[in-house]
Amino acid sequence: MAHKWGLVVDLDRCTGCEACVVACHAENNVPTVGKDQAAIGRAMQWIRVERSWEGDFPNPKVRFQPVLCQQCDAAPCEAVCPTYASYHTEEGLNGQAYNRCIGTRFCANACPYTVRSFNFFNPSWQKPLNLQLNPDVSVRSVGIMEKCTFCVQRIKSAEIQAEAEKRDLKDGELTTACAQSCASKALVFGDLNDPNSEVSRLASSNRAAKLMGELGTKPNVTYLDRGAWQDAKNS
Amino acid sequence: MERRNFIKISALTGVAATLDACRAPDKQLIRFIPEENLIPGIAVWKPSICTLCSAGCGLQVRVMQGDAEVERHGERGLIKMGLAKRLEGSPQNPINAGKLCARGQAGLQVLYHPDRITKPIKRSGARGSGQFQAISWDDALKELTSHLTALQASRSANALAFLARPLRGQRRELIEKFLTAFGAPPAVWYEPFDEAVLRQANLLSFGHAALPTLDLARADYVISFGADFLGTWNSPVAQSIGYGAMRRGRPGRRGKFVQVESRMSQTGANADEWIACKPGTEGVLALGIAHVILSQKLAPQSIASPAASRAGSQIAGWSAGLPEFTPEAVEKQTGVSAAVMTRLAHEMTLSGAAAAIVGGAPLAQTNGLFSALAVNALESLVDANRDEGPILGFTPEPPLSNAGEPAAPAQASFARLNSFAQSVLSGKAGTPQMLMLYDANPIFSAPPATKIREAIARIPTIVSLGSFIDETSAQADLILPDNAPLESWLDSVPESGSFQSLIGLAPPAVSPLHETRPMPDVLLGVAQHLGGDLAKALPYATFDAMLKAALLPLRAQGGSVAAKTDDDFWQSVQTQGGWWSAPAAAGWKSAAAKPAAMPQGKQASHALTAPEFAGSATDFPFYFQPYLTPSFGDGSTAHLPWMQELPDALTTAMWSSWVEIHPKTGAMLGIQQGDLVEIASQAGSLRVPAVLSPGIAPDLLAMPVGQGHENFGRFASGHGANPLSILAPVVEPSTGSLAWAATRVKLARVGGPEQAKLVLFAGGMSGFPHDEKPR
Repeated sequence: MAHKWGLVVDLDRCTGCEACVVACHAENNVPTVGKDQAAIGRAMQWIRVERSWEGDFPNPKVRFQPVLCQQCDAAPCEAVCPTYASYHTEEGLNGQAYNRCIGTRFCANACPYTVRSFNFFNPSWQKPLNLQLNPDVSVRSVGIMEKCTFCVQRIKSAEIQAEAEKRDLKDGELTTACAQSCASKALVFGDLNDPNSEVSRLASSNRAAKLMGELGTKPNVTYLDRGAWQDAKNS
Repeated sequence: MERRNFIKISALTGVAATLDACRAPDKQLIRFIPEENLIPGIAVWKPSICTLCSAGCGLQVRVMQGDAEVERHGERGLIKMGLAKRLEGSPQNPINAGKLCARGQAGLQVLYHPDRITKPIKRSGARGSGQFQAISWDDALKELTSHLTALQASRSANALAFLARPLRGQRRELIEKFLTAFGAPPAVWYEPFDEAVLRQANLLSFGHAALPTLDLARADYVISFGADFLGTWNSPVAQSIGYGAMRRGRPGRRGKFVQVESRMSQTGANADEWIACKPGTEGVLALGIAHVILSQKLAPQSIASPAASRAGSQIAGWSAGLPEFTPEAVEKQTGVSAAVMTRLAHEMTLSGAAAAIVGGAPLAQTNGLFSALAVNALESLVDANRDEGPILGFTPEPPLSNAGEPAAPAQASFARLNSFAQSVLSGKAGTPQMLMLYDANPIFSAPPATKIREAIARIPTIVSLGSFIDETSAQADLILPDNAPLESWLDSVPESGSFQSLIGLAPPAVSPLHETRPMPDVLLGVAQHLGGDLAKALPYATFDAMLKAALLPLRAQGGSVAAKTDDDFWQSVQTQGGWWSAPAAAGWKSAAAKPAAMPQGKQASHALTAPEFAGSATDFPFYFQPYLTPSFGDGSTAHLPWMQELPDALTTAMWSSWVEIHPKTGAMLGIQQGDLVEIASQAGSLRVPAVLSPGIAPDLLAMPVGQGHENFGRFASGHGANPLSILAPVVEPSTGSLAWAATRVKLARVGGPEQAKLVLFAGGMSGFPHDEKPR
């Protein structure tokens, strides 16, 4: 059976430490843009940790929420791309074909989650920082839109390995860089088509919700509500 | 142009280019012979150890073959070599179990940093001018040894000083042995946030002069007094793993977490209940809760337990039930309502496994030790007498004679730095004539009142063994650059974070990119060259020989490595990334390290003292709290671009520093988000952008540590301001630790957002980039 990749974000476990953000930069060759470009909103992050404040001193509340491409089944970004650079893969990912992208940025406008990053310049890694680049992931050039791929290079390599060994992929055998680094296990990646996978089990929790689910984008990323003390019995 | 002509011209210029290359060999890229046998495209995972904080997490490094542009013997060229591509946590390591924090993953950029010192350099201009010239390793070592022999010859070996960040394990052992055999005084270990107060308190309360290890996965209730245990305090990765399990690891059971602090930290933001408490009164609040537990007999079986009576005996009035700390009296001092205290006392004693921990700002007050002892007493009351053992325990020492927990806490590093600076400035005979520097940057991280900048300027010879130019090493006369950690033999003896005793060890993950040499090998080489006692004390050719000699006794201890011969053992330790004892059955029950006996004759209990602050409340109306960030620590990782561009968890600020101000305070002083403000204390002033935050007390200003470097490479220099530079030299009197939260300040608006240039990830689009210059 084909895979359908999904991610669960347990907001009760997330501590806002942003290890996932650095893991993503390292794994996917996401460039840093420097102070001046960051100041005008051009910092690039495939995954970001949002915080929302409620209340005021002495009773302020903060909620952290990692936001990344939701890999929607009904993705607004795909429909608007004039060159089919944004497309839907057979395994349910919102793919981005860099060599088809002409930089119209329609997809970034259409995405309700603002998780797409645009290369306003050719990225640069001052030597020898270029040696940190992951050879499994291509570096994007100026004028190209980029976004979270669910670490498709890791998915592909695990699938090829499993096929070579003539076996099925096991749950937990592969994970994304963000989920790999997550110390509190707030991020769990896996196959939603496998009813026994951890991600399927968590995605059917009654704490589960989709980000802006009312838009009908049918995301494959599921958020689990924080809940409160003594609410745990409902998990 | 005709095709024929074009070919002619290009042929000619091609020839010219070739000739040119022959004349100037430095302009052509030579291919050096590869040093290793790696298969192109195949990744190998190698063990290593994270050195970016003291937690000692185990790493696995993804190494792949690649082409690196390097310089060897004065010639630039390409070499095929193993390149580190990614850092992940080591899955077997008992501390971090495959996980790694944001800072740890950026360790890759230490290795590939464009500002690393690539070969030995010698000062060629005025001191601190930043002018250096490259010299050969032979010349550099000759110069270093000649300085040392000159000291020996003039019978002033005691005039050698060594200044480093606090190290553990064999690097520390090596430096200590070197200094002793040379006849020099002990090293000055400097780290501004050195936890000396907590170690002292834990020795008195629990019999361990160490940071605690928390079994959070089993906890049902955690109250933390200021400890940023999910961000920067103690062993954050181990604690985050436990925290996740405490929240959702046990179906039907979710632990509650309460944070007490006056400025909401990243850790506090995760709390179920956040309690604001006046700075310096956290210990009082702990005793208020303890009073309720004692007077209402909420934990009858714990009160008489040996642990509780030991920790309790440190607090005056404990056996009488803390009569001075009734909730009503405590409410007046702390600002926390008596009803909340009573409720917390009930919740804590009724909800299963509870723990109270303390860290951060409460310890950085003049009454820090009292606050720590008070929280420890509460901890022993709520966390004793459980079958599985307490939540809070201590990592057992590795079974080696020269590793692990010292019997008494080392002198607070601030006190040591102060006396060092004073002895230099006194100018008396026998004062330091030569300074060796390693990975410590006190000119940046010590308050200016220590006069460390002036003291260092007075020392005739300064040799740095670090990898980067920073504010302190910029003063060096000679720099012998160390390998990057991933290029070095590493060992670690983690103080906390593991229930098993543990020694981390790893060979170099990659070969050196530049012409650097490992600091330990340089010292060992110098020791052999100087001969005499030094050569006898350090009879090793290289550091790995010293590590092997130190670790081989562990073979007899069993644990994680079963080996028939010493060589097998040594190989297995290297592949595993260290040695650890067999895992304890569950929690602390069988693992608990034995507490030290109560020191005799030191039974005096501690009575409450009010916190004292530098600066009067009328002239300086605000408390001032510098705080550590996960990205920068004490500022030593501010040079990594990934850390600079990582948005702060609570403000989304990047590439800058800022001060957090409550909106009410802002309104009172006419300060809006992004304005430039001036903060002044008795000791100095600085200017930073303002961030209005609802998570801070109106009488408190808080500022992240780590930015404000003048001279720390291209990515760190010139961003923001350094809060440590306006701290008054207030100390916690019993340990001599820097009381970094005990300075009062005043605040004024001095400019608008155009001057302040606050960079935020969220909301950074407010100014449309219409006037931007094309690049």
